[in-house]
Amino acid sequence: MGFLLWYENGLVGVFIRESLWGYPIVLSSHAVGMATVMGVAVALNMRVLGFAKGLSIQAFDKLFLVGWLGFIINLVSGIILFAGNASVYTFQWTFQLKIGAIIVGGILMKVVMNAVRENKPESTQKLLAGISMACWMIGMITGRLMAYIG
Amino acid sequence: MNWEPLATWLETTWLHDLMVNIFWMFPAGETLHFIGITILFGALLVVDFRVIGLVKFINMNEVMKFIPVAIIAFGLNLLTGIAFLAANPFRYFPNIAFQWKMALIIIAGINALWFWFGEHKELKQLADGEDAPFRAKVIAVISLVIWVLVIICGRMIPYVEY
Repeated sequence: MGFLLWYENGLVGVFIRESLWGYPIVLSSHAVGMATVMGVAVALNMRVLGFAKGLSIQAFDKLFLVGWLGFIINLVSGIILFAGNASVYTFQWTFQLKIGAIIVGGILMKVVMNAVRENKPESTQKLLAGISMACWMIGMITGRLMAYIG
Repeated sequence: MNWEPLATWLETTWLHDLMVNIFWMFPAGETLHFIGITILFGALLVVDFRVIGLVKFINMNEVMKFIPVAIIAFGLNLLTGIAFLAANPFRYFPNIAFQWKMALIIIAGINALWFWFGEHKELKQLADGEDAPFRAKVIAVISLVIWVLVIICGRMIPYVEY
């Protein structure tokens, strides 16, 4: 709690709460990053689940670079936005679920790619991709709902 | 443009009542709107980056399968967007970020039609790894830039009201 208040009352927290354009600009970046990282995640998982089967999985190695770019945008903008109300966000179940779902969904992306490369049974690949997709969706839904509940 | 008669009419619709009277309709609609833009943008990333050449070694015919995905996601966002508009028409129409967002979507739509009717057939003939024509690359870059701006304008709507 001490750390949360320190961070919230520090430079970043003051900036995001008091600068006129700070909050909308950082929030917009967070939306662009979200569409980028989740867009790549959704496209890969759709492919593994059986959509557009002729698309080589290797193609996603390069798209992952774009996905990482989106992820970094959102990590940075997320850390800044967090400063706006850290002592409240931390204890919202929607926020906790959001962060948990993104971590699991993100790790599963790597697991899915490995499963595909190692030619694991298709059912295993699909199950992993399905869970990853669900995690990303939960991350997005709870993120949006943080403004309303939790 | 005189939007007030349309706004007044929208407030008399059942959709307006639904969105205003049931408290979870608006957050649920927003969540769907976010899911829609993610799927739309994800599909465009695949298509546009293949055309631009960042991911050249994927089959163009397979890439094109993401176009209907983008259209369905756009449809979802059109419907949820109309619902938001019906809920608060007097808030959205005069909003500068909303106006820019709509203008940008129209430009994106024209760009998409140009892609479909002007380039799509030729692109489908490309071998894996073959470069797309310069014109098509320009369309793809425009598409990505515009949709990023659409997301930014949409996100800005609540902050430019006065």
